[in-house]
Amino acid sequence: MPTTFIGTGSADAGTLALALGAAPSATSPEPPAAATWDWDWRGLLTGWRSEVAALPAADQVVVCTWPDPAPRVELLELGPVRWRREVEWPTALWFTTLAVATGRCRDGGAIVVVVDRPAPLDAPGHGAAVTVGDGVVNLVRSLAATEGGRGVRVNAVLSARPVAPRDLAGSPTPLTTSPGRVDVEIAGAVRMLLSDDGAGLTGTVLPATGGHP
Amino acid sequence: MSATGRCVLVTGASGGVGRGIALACGASGWDVWIAARREVEGAAVADEVTAAGGRGRAIVCDVGDEESVRALLDAIAGAAGRLDGLVHNATSGRSSQSGPITDVTVADLEDHVRVATRGLYLVARAAFPLLAAARGSVVVTTSEAALEGKRLLAAYAMVKAQQRAMVSVLAREWGPAGVRVNAVAPLAGSPAMARAFVSDPTMEARVMRRIPLGRLGDATDDIGVAVRFLLGDDARFVTGQTLMIDGGSAAVS
Repeated sequence: MPTTFIGTGSADAGTLALALGAAPSATSPEPPAAATWDWDWRGLLTGWRSEVAALPAADQVVVCTWPDPAPRVELLELGPVRWRREVEWPTALWFTTLAVATGRCRDGGAIVVVVDRPAPLDAPGHGAAVTVGDGVVNLVRSLAATEGGRGVRVNAVLSARPVAPRDLAGSPTPLTTSPGRVDVEIAGAVRMLLSDDGAGLTGTVLPATGGHP
Repeated sequence: MSATGRCVLVTGASGGVGRGIALACGASGWDVWIAARREVEGAAVADEVTAAGGRGRAIVCDVGDEESVRALLDAIAGAAGRLDGLVHNATSGRSSQSGPITDVTVADLEDHVRVATRGLYLVARAAFPLLAAARGSVVVTTSEAALEGKRLLAAYAMVKAQQRAMVSVLAREWGPAGVRVNAVAPLAGSPAMARAFVSDPTMEARVMRRIPLGRLGDATDDIGVAVRFLLGDDARFVTGQTLMIDGGSAAVS
């Protein structure tokens, strides 16, 4: 079944698309290198919205929000420009993307959104990823409520790619494979939620993180 | 400085839940700084705080503006010299506008982010030195929408979830400095709630049907006192939590 794959240009997003047998349908724009605190992204978002809206309708839509890894930094030390780039821009980007991409999923279809969300114990230093991730996850819940009436399921898969194994806090992760391989553990979780095996699931969040709390 | 020596700042306190929080703190004799964009309404709440037994001070602030936030914290540092508690209650004026996600404009979304998420980022960062010196407490007013999403309030639900995320992060990052960070998810009768009921005519029945206690909360006597608890020493071992103050409405906690 053809899958529309919308994602960042990160290498891992490409790996995930390949593992799902989907050619990337649209690659999200990046903020300009010189983006400042008062950078106006409306033009960029408008163009992106049009690109996503022009995608053909599909029964399966995957949206992969993985950014390239950013240096670990506590929120107090995250300066305004990085805040704008790493929190506000992805918030606007993925809200816009999902608002439009949902309409590209046919009635009865399935949407899976893949999100980096370090576990609560690992949150220090990853405030931007946690903030964006939790926002997107809750947007998935809102969309599940909106789209259920036409039989469209909307779910999320959580990954924890930004957390290096040496930075894991708390008890050892149950599965030593954590944070998991993109083409195996994470692609597997996405496939399940896209498939009929996930027919009763919507608005759910599936952490494919090896059981790390 | 009031007799109790406790000084707190409440953003978005010119009405509704923020006013209720300010009044509850005032009733304990605390110094309460009212930060709001609406000057007249903020000053009126400051007077009410003073009448309730505390000492109210009003200051105009746009929490999404870095300079405005810096001026706010400079004023508190200069006048009070300390800050024991911060309540980030300010929320976008568009919070109660309900509608399909496809109707949400970029300007709508930016306003939500600017007040709820950026506002928390700016105010918390600016307040941290004073809060750390006092081993103080931060409380963020989020919503049950942060936990379960909302069909017709997608942008609001998204930024409220982001606030909870920031609370969980800041609680861990600031705990070693003795600063506690929590959230509340109130369900209260307020002008914003009244506007939401008008915006979505089916909303009132849906909301009321799921509240076991059968009523909306009172901004002062239900919500304000719970926030005061989180700000005070009785909650000294509580951090990183979201307290649902909703009469039992939320199906998640």
